Amino acid sequence: MIPVPGDGWSRLSPRKLLLDPVKALRQALVPVFVAVIGVSQSDTRFWQFILPVALLGPVVLGAVPWLTTHYRLTDTQIQVRRGLLNKSTSTAPLDRVRSVDLEASLLHRILGLQKVQVGTGVDDDRIELDALATADAQALRTTLLRRRVAVSSPLDQPGLEVGDEVSAPPDQLEAGPVPVPELLASIDWSWLRFAPFSLTRLVLLAGALGVFSQFADDLPILNEDTASSVWGWLQQFALVLVVVVLVVGSLAGWVLVAVTGYVVQWWNFRLVREQGSFNLTNGLFTTRSITVEEAKVRGVELTEPMLLRAVGGAELSTLATGVEDGVTAVLPPCPHDVAVSVGEAVLAASGPLTEPLVEHGPLARRRAWLRQVRAWLVLPVLAAVAVWWLEQPWWWPVPVAVAALALAALVGETSYRHLGHHLLGEHLVAGSGALARVRTVLETDGIIGWVVRQSWWQRRIGLADLVATTAAGQERVVVRDVGLDVAVALADRTTPGLLTDFVTRQLEDA
Amino acid sequence: MSHDGGTPVLRAPTHQVSPRAIPFWTVSALIGDGVLVLAAAIAYVVVPDVPGWVGLVVLALALAAAAHVLVMPRIRFRVHRWEVTDTAVHTREGWIGRESRIAPISRVQTVDSRQGALMRLFGLASITVTTASAAGPITISCLDDHTAREVVARLTEITAATQGDAT
Repeated sequence: MIPVPGDGWSRLSPRKLLLDPVKALRQALVPVFVAVIGVSQSDTRFWQFILPVALLGPVVLGAVPWLTTHYRLTDTQIQVRRGLLNKSTSTAPLDRVRSVDLEASLLHRILGLQKVQVGTGVDDDRIELDALATADAQALRTTLLRRRVAVSSPLDQPGLEVGDEVSAPPDQLEAGPVPVPELLASIDWSWLRFAPFSLTRLVLLAGALGVFSQFADDLPILNEDTASSVWGWLQQFALVLVVVVLVVGSLAGWVLVAVTGYVVQWWNFRLVREQGSFNLTNGLFTTRSITVEEAKVRGVELTEPMLLRAVGGAELSTLATGVEDGVTAVLPPCPHDVAVSVGEAVLAASGPLTEPLVEHGPLARRRAWLRQVRAWLVLPVLAAVAVWWLEQPWWWPVPVAVAALALAALVGETSYRHLGHHLLGEHLVAGSGALARVRTVLETDGIIGWVVRQSWWQRRIGLADLVATTAAGQERVVVRDVGLDVAVALADRTTPGLLTDFVTRQLEDA
Repeated sequence: MSHDGGTPVLRAPTHQVSPRAIPFWTVSALIGDGVLVLAAAIAYVVVPDVPGWVGLVVLALALAAAAHVLVMPRIRFRVHRWEVTDTAVHTREGWIGRESRIAPISRVQTVDSRQGALMRLFGLASITVTTASAAGPITISCLDDHTAREVVARLTEITAATQGDAT
């Protein structure tokens, strides 16, 4: 029952009245708890006043958003009005709607609700409707996306006057009134084998352990007495056995966490191209549905973290403008070939993800090595300080230095191997990454400026960092340690015309 | 746009910044470095039982600061250049390193001009041109007042004439 264009204002779903108080109660839980404890320790007389306020407050406050939020569709705009004291009205022209995202937490899903976020592509603030009934949210999404296609006539498409790329956008223009969704990828549970090799979740786990350690002092098992008696008990057994059990145990724990996380995050994953947009849905408990206009996707990034690469896996993200953080993971860790083929489908070009890159030469390799040596040199220095401080034997830093240098050489070499650039048709490709191999592909049309940067060291050997600035993704694509002349030529070829006024040719063929 | 033969070289933008930038950079470096050296010297005098070599460190710091104050503004003046054509903004800056920035005017979103207290004393102003990329702002620093006003007026005029959302 979403409003017909031209109709009056309508409210969010009344079931929001159940949603918000629960949320507010959950948020207020800690302060209320603290207040109640604090008061109860000083004086019990205030109980009868505190408790009702503490419990009813969130409920009343939670009802306010529903009472004060209204939205409507006009023929050309979507408008949202909210606020009790500070009233605000957000409007978005329908032809500027670039992304429509639906999200439902577990609580939302129990109540049959969804949160709708509408992005207009230019600035980062989005119009948020939290929450609509699921059917309404879906209907609103379809309406917004369809109306966008209807409102913006083909003549409005920027970039068409360039003339030489008439073949690129037509599938989006010819979508017409009867769009046929094209399934680009969906979950294949055999990909679950990649879950333990993707370490992004390890960060979360470490965070959880950090929280746990906050309470560890209070746990009975971890005080000094038990620790030393446990140590004595351990020494009676073979230490090796204990270590093996610990390693196997933590590995098993990691596999369990990684697989569970993968399933929870990527359950029901689908990537679909419809009505000139990409639509990504996933999630077991919290379901998400992200829709981004195809024209706003300016490129992709293929990442192969070291472990994942060793087992033939890769991750794929899109670089888009007007999305919350620009870089959206559109595939779970999956086989390299799948990531490449989906990437090519998104780019509508084959090659940028597979063609070998232009290498940057021996000077760039030297810099890659030296950078790592400088970074790893910290270890032997620390060891030397420890020797001096703790009066350890003098030779102690030597093996540390050897190991550090070996690591530096290894990482330096891999980071040089990952370095490179290429210009393929309308895509600029940049290779980067030290341990992970990262390949960033950016549409040349999405480049809105250049920076050529040289440190003093780079000037001495004629290298430079070339930065293509863009509104998409992380807002920059860096081609590192490339020859200055190569950098200028690359920039000139990538954005024809822009540099013409500023480039001169030096004929130095002797 | 493949021109024939030769290595492409990014030529320097045509205009230099205002000559008053040299005294401005000198004074601001003097203030910044002066505070640092003074703090180090005071610490050296006040803290008891400092080994003798620390004095040498403070002395070296003072010499380095003096060299910085004397040399940096002159090199900077030679490096800093800018140019605004009908289609693009191009700047070069740095003194130890070099940084060239180019942005097409069709993608420019805002044009700001800034003048700090010290800059006003020297009659200087800086112009910052931003694009939709956080990595892309271009600053033309230390123009003299009226040039800055002219450039801002010209840039606003050109950007007002261009269409699209510049992403």
